[in-house]
Amino acid sequence: MKHIILASLLAGAMALPAYATDYTLMAPAAPGGGWDQTARSLQTALQQEGISKNVQVINVPGAGGTIGLAQFASQQKGKANALIVGGYVMVGAILTNKAPVTLKDVTPIARLTGENEAIVVPASSPLKSVADLVAALKKDPGSVSWGGGSAGGVDHIAAGLIAKAAGVDPTKINYIAFSGGGEALAAILGSQVTVGISGYGEFESQIKSGTLRLLATSGDTRIPGTEAPTLKEAGLDVSVQNWRMVAAAPGLTAEQKAAVTADVQKLVTSKTWQETLKTKGWQDTYLSGAAFEAQLAKDISATETILKDIGLVK
Amino acid sequence: MNQGPLNKAGERRPDWAALVIAAVLVAISGVIFFDAARLREVSGYSPVGPGTVPMAIAVVLLLLAVWTVIAAFRGDFPEREKQEVQPVAWVIGGLAAQMLLLNTAGFSIATGVLFAATAAGFGKRKVWISLPVGIVLCLVVWLIFAGLLQLSLPAGPLERLFQ
Amino acid sequence: MSTFEFLLQGLVIAAQPMNLFYALIGVTLGTAVGVLPGIGPALTVALLLPVTYQLDPAGSLIMFAGIYYGGMYGGSTTSILLNTPGESASIVTALEGNKMARAGRGGPALATAAIGSFVAGLLATIGLAFIAPFIVKLALVFGPREYFALMVLAFVTVSSAFGDSTLRGLTALFIGLALSTIGIDQLTGQTRLAFGVPDLLDGIEVTTLAVAMFAIGETLFIAAQGVKGPDKVEAVKGSVWMNRADWARSWKPWLRGTVIGFPIGAMPAGGAEIGTFLSYAAEKRLSKHPEEFGHGAIEGVAGPEAANNASAAGTLVPLLTLGLPTTATAAIMLAGFQQYGLQPGPLLFATNPQLVWGLIASLLIANFMLLVLNLPLIGLWVRLLTIPKPWLYAGILLFATLGTIGANPSVFELGMLLAFGILGYVMRVFGYPIAPVVVGLILGPLAEQQLRRALAISQGDFSVLFTSPIAAGLLIVAALALIVPLILRARGRGEVLSQMAANED
Repeated sequence: MKHIILASLLAGAMALPAYATDYTLMAPAAPGGGWDQTARSLQTALQQEGISKNVQVINVPGAGGTIGLAQFASQQKGKANALIVGGYVMVGAILTNKAPVTLKDVTPIARLTGENEAIVVPASSPLKSVADLVAALKKDPGSVSWGGGSAGGVDHIAAGLIAKAAGVDPTKINYIAFSGGGEALAAILGSQVTVGISGYGEFESQIKSGTLRLLATSGDTRIPGTEAPTLKEAGLDVSVQNWRMVAAAPGLTAEQKAAVTADVQKLVTSKTWQETLKTKGWQDTYLSGAAFEAQLAKDISATETILKDIGLVK
Repeated sequence: MNQGPLNKAGERRPDWAALVIAAVLVAISGVIFFDAARLREVSGYSPVGPGTVPMAIAVVLLLLAVWTVIAAFRGDFPEREKQEVQPVAWVIGGLAAQMLLLNTAGFSIATGVLFAATAAGFGKRKVWISLPVGIVLCLVVWLIFAGLLQLSLPAGPLERLFQ
Repeated sequence: MSTFEFLLQGLVIAAQPMNLFYALIGVTLGTAVGVLPGIGPALTVALLLPVTYQLDPAGSLIMFAGIYYGGMYGGSTTSILLNTPGESASIVTALEGNKMARAGRGGPALATAAIGSFVAGLLATIGLAFIAPFIVKLALVFGPREYFALMVLAFVTVSSAFGDSTLRGLTALFIGLALSTIGIDQLTGQTRLAFGVPDLLDGIEVTTLAVAMFAIGETLFIAAQGVKGPDKVEAVKGSVWMNRADWARSWKPWLRGTVIGFPIGAMPAGGAEIGTFLSYAAEKRLSKHPEEFGHGAIEGVAGPEAANNASAAGTLVPLLTLGLPTTATAAIMLAGFQQYGLQPGPLLFATNPQLVWGLIASLLIANFMLLVLNLPLIGLWVRLLTIPKPWLYAGILLFATLGTIGANPSVFELGMLLAFGILGYVMRVFGYPIAPVVVGLILGPLAEQQLRRALAISQGDFSVLFTSPIAAGLLIVAALALIVPLILRARGRGEVLSQMAANED
């Protein structure tokens, strides 16, 4: 127990009830990324709320989470105390990488958070609305360069869906993939590309300061505090969210699954988790049980269709 | 890697090891050609597609292979010192053992074995001393980095005593 | 309040004894973790960030700044002493620094790295405070074509690390480039050279390759010499401290390194290692002792170390003024800032001046504490070299693998470490330089992606590559850097130049 004592010295002792399960939580990404942050926030909340006494985070980075997923499915089979963090990016990565282990091989528990995509242009751009963007796309799809995250990711998928909904051939979009972080944003701010597409949080402060113009967001409802329409309101039948979820190991009994679901339910309603959502700026999109499974199946098939349309998956 | 005959000054014998290197370069180049040929050019707007740069690298590697052959016949490669095989085998064996033991025996035992094997490679063959020293040292490292800093280092039977 | 008053107020808060103590703890922890090969500043900050959450905002901000600078600096110590760079930004440091350490001049090498880091950190932090808005405008002008031109320039400068044979230098570089194409092609999502192995989809990790080729390759090479050599290295020859000549040869590289590193760090796709390459090449060209390069030239440590730290401060320019995290480290810092209620972005300086200036003051203090901590420790660090070889190299391999396992605990990654270690050993045996392989792995994808982005945006028009004034200027500099030495060589000064060319091992 030596390291526990040391940890308490450093981190401040926490009151820990004795009955709870010790969870192992896999973040299928390197320390620091979105999934890792989700996993570590879950760890803190589970421990502080006394839902679990001791939560260990394991990082298994690689290939959009598919490496971690494969390892999780094979090594944790039937273990009721193993969890993995994942998300929409995994859905796309499984398809483009032709991963042998898919989300069918784990037990999805609940969707936790989500972020809407934002479609932006530099303030100096002649494009003022989604209608202008659609007109430019229809005239010459190659002249509209889209700056966003990596190929086949949620940004690319959203751009493909927009083109398709606007009646433009999705294979003709001129999508420029940038490495994550701020590279895409810099290219948009410097007017290197015509339009930017990425998570709303990535652009938020630029939109507020007026250096970027928000044309639309991709959710079902508008983002509070913004005036831009949703894509649906702007006449394009597109709805995409970049969500994050937590799943359990395959081969669980119904009781085991129910117990994990109950623990996650306890977690999402807890004060610690709600505060985390606020400080991190994550949107609460909690959905569990059959409703989540149905939504997941829908997302997977829609993603497969659009990736084929863009030409990334055969 | 095999040892070619050393060049003696004034002799015009090809440097066989350098020829092997050239062959390896040709092989790498071939693999890249083979792989790049099957890529689909999906991004229609850039004339430089996913296969272009690998192809260019493969071509240059071929040219470098030719150059290496010329250098081999002219004896342009520097003389090599005699390499002791046994110590190298110890260190490589230690790394391989760590790799294989890591997930079953845990970080401390696996890395302790590496520690002892490396020391043996450098002449300290008293494994009954270096192995326990290595394992204890690695356990301390594990306690600091996995316990205190939450680094995910694999735990084995030894580490579980402290969990 | 004016800029200056805010800064002064921040400094007063940061200089309180308790906060100084937090800065010292931060710097110590950051150095301790950052010193591990394979664990760069990003991972260091990610691992240690939770420690700061327990403190009040001012204290945690200061400790955080300490961790950041400590992590940045930690990598150079192992680079210099053990020839095992902790991260990509200190690879260049190993070239000259380790040669110095082996000649018993590890003390001056560590000192010039520490003081250079301090000078660069100080100047760059001041730069951050006063010229950030200007620098950020410059950075945004850089689009894909300008970056491509910058990469071409970086490629040309790499030749200064080629060693004495163009053939072997080029071969090493192209092996690195070939390795760099492995994995998912970012622009089209297709996999290249992965042959269905999922672990290869993300490509080869730069730190894995660097640790393998330097630390493990070196260990194997030394082991293969057998026990004929002395059991230990002579750690100190002459003074452990920098002498007059060292100072005279260091101060200009510090300043030049800062000037090169800061703007490149501020560029969204620049990266700390590019600055170190350019600085090394510049010092080699400008040095009065070019023949010493490759045998332990102090300028080759002073310049790149300054560039490395200046670019770390440079990264904060787009982060604070635009909310742009341009490196993994910056992305993690962004997460850290949000914890303190700081929302980086264009409005930050206006809405939250106290916190921004508090941060800048913390950085200054942390930078100072780094010097306070590390200068006295230099005597202790160089003693590392007096550890008998068996234990020293056993320890190096322990920590080298610890870094790799910590970043990604997979058997496959360890297998790559072993395979590249053997490659590094074989290359050493045949007189191939090591650094170009790692440089190729870093620069290859950057150059390729920027070229393809530029061409996609222009819809296939190659002329865009030359029509921007910045891109054209950079390409001209690159062409001159390539052609001038050839002309000089043709005019019969070839012997001097071939002596200048560094012999890496």
